[in-house]
Amino acid sequence: MQAFVFFWLAGLLATLGLMFAFFSKAAMGRKIGSIMLAVGFLSLLATPWTIPFSPSSAYGHLLGSIIGPTVLLGVGFYQIAFSGHVPVGRLSKGDRNTGIIMVIIGVLWIEAMHWFVFTPVYPNEVNRYWLIFWPTLLLFGLACSTGAYAMVGIVGDERHQERRLMLVLTVFFSALIVLGASLDGPNVNHERFAIELLLSGADLFGVAVGAAFSVVLFALVMLIYEAQQPAPHRLAPPTTEQLQQAATTIATHVSGGEEDE
Amino acid sequence: MNEPSPAKSVLRLFLWLISPVLAVMLWLIWVVQTPTDGSFIRFVNAMLTSFTLVSFMLLLTLVVYGDARKRPVSPLFGMLLCVSVGAALTVFFLSQGDLLMEANGSVRAQALSNIIRFATTALAVVVAVMIVGGTLFSSLLNSPPRTISFEEE
Repeated sequence: MQAFVFFWLAGLLATLGLMFAFFSKAAMGRKIGSIMLAVGFLSLLATPWTIPFSPSSAYGHLLGSIIGPTVLLGVGFYQIAFSGHVPVGRLSKGDRNTGIIMVIIGVLWIEAMHWFVFTPVYPNEVNRYWLIFWPTLLLFGLACSTGAYAMVGIVGDERHQERRLMLVLTVFFSALIVLGASLDGPNVNHERFAIELLLSGADLFGVAVGAAFSVVLFALVMLIYEAQQPAPHRLAPPTTEQLQQAATTIATHVSGGEEDE
Repeated sequence: MNEPSPAKSVLRLFLWLISPVLAVMLWLIWVVQTPTDGSFIRFVNAMLTSFTLVSFMLLLTLVVYGDARKRPVSPLFGMLLCVSVGAALTVFFLSQGDLLMEANGSVRAQALSNIIRFATTALAVVVAVMIVGGTLFSSLLNSPPRTISFEEE
């Protein structure tokens, strides 16, 4: 019962809150959604203390472990991006430098979670969800950077710097994958990492296929529903009298210049 | 020079997205000799969970859709059917003994474990997108503004 309230109900609250906060048109709806999200998220974070006996609490522990580097990366990238050429709300050069430092610390921190002693350990062994999170992050980061490389090439014009940057990211993620599968970390050995990497790949493909099926079915449901709707009522063409009235109204509101251009 | 068609561009993008993950997996299987035990079970579990949960999220988006379309019931019913089919398939396959079960003792435990694993994967995907997107947009917004040069008539 405790696990249901503090973990599952909290998770549902956070998911619904996120959707309301993003999709609701009313300001009150967005506000309530944000409150639901905050309450649900805090409850999930507190699960190592509220339900330490439940295996689900390892997920709350993972959230607490990665919140630091994630916030640093998110805020850091925001500061760097919005100190560039944006028309409104441009941040200062100082903010940009702070952003760069935050990103560097965020990257080092998350790296230290595999290569140094910061690996999330819960309760007495490496957090099982960290062993899913880290390989998935590396694999999807690799896929995303190569995808972004191709997308910039397709959509962008003369964006060589961005393409080079995406190549650098690709090399960075590839190097981390190869190193992780070849060298032991202080808490995770390379055989374990390789197995988890393979399982993460299976997870990623499974999630992609399942989500694609769902989206295709959603589109079909909408298509069938929309196709069954009666055609909208067509208005009769305007009569001469109506056209005359429109012409009079337009002539009243449009005052032409004295001279022709 | 001919512009590639949108379908070709999408296919190219898809291949760029999928091939690095495939390459890493093939490298792990053939070069590193990583055991593949449980990979298929993980794939099917992830697929069924993803189908059910994404359908549920799309069902929730129909509430927003309903605002614009006088709250129709039939698409809501259609998506509810999709969620039910996904959940039923998951329970059915999990209850077939060792077909999809991992180290969890019961169908319920396996289903709940699948949901947490899906949430972990989603979290990793979000952080990866944040890193790649953040890097890309930081570069785009910090490069010098471009000027459009018109040829003189």
